[in-house]
Amino acid sequence: MSQLAPEITDVHAIVDEVWRSFLGEAEPLLARPVPAGTPFDSAAVWSASVSVTGGWQGTVTVEVDERVAAELTRQMLGVPDTADEDVADAVGELVNMVGGNVKSLMPGPSTLSLPSVAAGRAAFASESVEVARLDALWAGQPVRVTVHTAAQ
Amino acid sequence: MRAMIIDDSRAMRSILRRILAGLDFETAEAGHGQEALDQMTAGPVPDLCLVDWNMPVMDGYTFISTVRRNAEWRNVTLMMVTTESEHTQIVRALAAGAHEYVIKPFTPDAIVDKLELLGLVSKGALA
Amino acid sequence: MTMARESFQMVSSLVRRETSMVYDEGKEYLVEARLLPLAVAAGCTVDEYCRKLSIDFAERRKALDALTINETSWFRDQGPYQAFTDTMLPALLQARSTTRRLRIWSAACSSGQEAYSIAMLLDQHLPAGWSAEILATDVSTAMLARVKTGRYSQVEMNRGMPATSLVRYFTRVGSEWEIVPKLKAMVTTRHLNLSAPYLGVPTFDLVLLRNVLIYFDKTTKADILRRMLSHVASDGYLLLGSSESTLDLPPDLAPRWRREQIGRVQAHRPTGVPAPRPSPASSLVPTGA
Ligand SMILES: C[S@@+](CC[C@H](N)C(=O)[O-])C[C@H]1O[C@@H](n2cnc3c(N)ncnc32)[C@H](O)[C@@H]1O
Repeated sequence: MSQLAPEITDVHAIVDEVWRSFLGEAEPLLARPVPAGTPFDSAAVWSASVSVTGGWQGTVTVEVDERVAAELTRQMLGVPDTADEDVADAVGELVNMVGGNVKSLMPGPSTLSLPSVAAGRAAFASESVEVARLDALWAGQPVRVTVHTAAQ
Repeated sequence: MRAMIIDDSRAMRSILRRILAGLDFETAEAGHGQEALDQMTAGPVPDLCLVDWNMPVMDGYTFISTVRRNAEWRNVTLMMVTTESEHTQIVRALAAGAHEYVIKPFTPDAIVDKLELLGLVSKGALA
Repeated sequence: MTMARESFQMVSSLVRRETSMVYDEGKEYLVEARLLPLAVAAGCTVDEYCRKLSIDFAERRKALDALTINETSWFRDQGPYQAFTDTMLPALLQARSTTRRLRIWSAACSSGQEAYSIAMLLDQHLPAGWSAEILATDVSTAMLARVKTGRYSQVEMNRGMPATSLVRYFTRVGSEWEIVPKLKAMVTTRHLNLSAPYLGVPTFDLVLLRNVLIYFDKTTKADILRRMLSHVASDGYLLLGSSESTLDLPPDLAPRWRREQIGRVQAHRPTGVPAPRPSPASSLVPTGA
């Protein structure tokens, strides 16, 4: 891989901190091995991404099972019921936190875009290559964070 | 004490609002820097602003620089709460007039610790 | 999925034996949350993992590290650090003007925030020509390794570190922040169990023994405070945690420590009153008799 990529251990540490901070310690985020190229294995998914431009160019994407998204939203907003727009907001803030911290791992200065969020799997531009991926389980449900850069 | 929470995420504003409510702050909220400036011009001036960096319309860095240029807002304490976490960004924000800086993600204790450092809450305020 | 009662009892007595820390009944959820990631890594359930601990020494070290309460923060409670800068340090600078050397002990240092907070203050306030040595000790080897590495996560940095000190004393390394070499050089680490004898430990101008006595029973607490008498200089200071400063001392110790209010905190200082005449059978006589 010739592309400049963040260390996977750093990505893991970042995601772990975001999870602990907003969802507490009771339910740990457990890393799990998933072969490269495996599509995100969840029927109902929320996805969100931010892009980094400047000293380093890339996209950071978070995909979570909708149950994880709903629980995250409940915890962050502090409400028992969540509407789609709430989930979109919470998942957007999630990717903002992960993306901003990933940006700081890479050569700068760079700027971070505002998040874009979708109900459904993430779509990746065909000219982009995956340079880092973290697969994990939270409360038995899948979570994935990927980092892409443009192919050279 | 009056605080203004400036962040484009409602979820984040909600988290910060609950922490500040537990510390007996009255809170107002804005989704970006310009909205916050408008509220501050029209209404009561807050004692404290918690400011995100990346927001639509006006970002937090511009907001802080603007507040610092206005002598009427001299007494407002400014604390960045943002995912921007490079050394250089923190230096820039401090130079622009931020008093403290919290990096997202954070736990409620972190906000309390920083407000203690700023002398805005006293030890043990959060039971 | 909660851990079996025997597993909890086995683990809590292990922790007690090795560190004197007391895990009461009802803390099962805490023990389980801390052991689960280790059990998953070892490919077994928490109960199976607990059984493994009786035979696997390396795994036992890891479990003990995971189970000790390491909660700490930069400039924790602030009051003690304010008192250090405003009162204790100026007094010590006068008292040590011939040796121009200060010795400080962070006993139960956890991941090092306490030791490095003091190091930052010394960097700012120690006059040229002076040197300072900070000894950081803990029962957890994992914690000592962290002090040596001097790297902290974003979440840890947020806990009480003033932004101006962050930019002055830390550099970014991956997702973490690392303390600058100049401060690292001031801190020496050493493994030390507070409830065992302190061999080869010198006398200090300031001892920070904070937020650790609360985990011990009464007798252990008193033993530690008795032993600390020989490690605090006659004009030195002992700082306990904010909830520990009002601790009741047993009769033999009460005259040997005095409390002094310094700013918002209470420091303990040796009175110089000698130990009561040792009686050979003292350990057999119930105290307070
Ligand atoms: C709650 S932390 C306190 C850290 C720091 N002194 C502070 O106040 O923030 C308690 C520390 O005591 C250590 N500890 C527990 N039992 C100990 C023992 N018997 N001897 C030495 N250290 C011990 C733990 O490993 C942990 O790092």
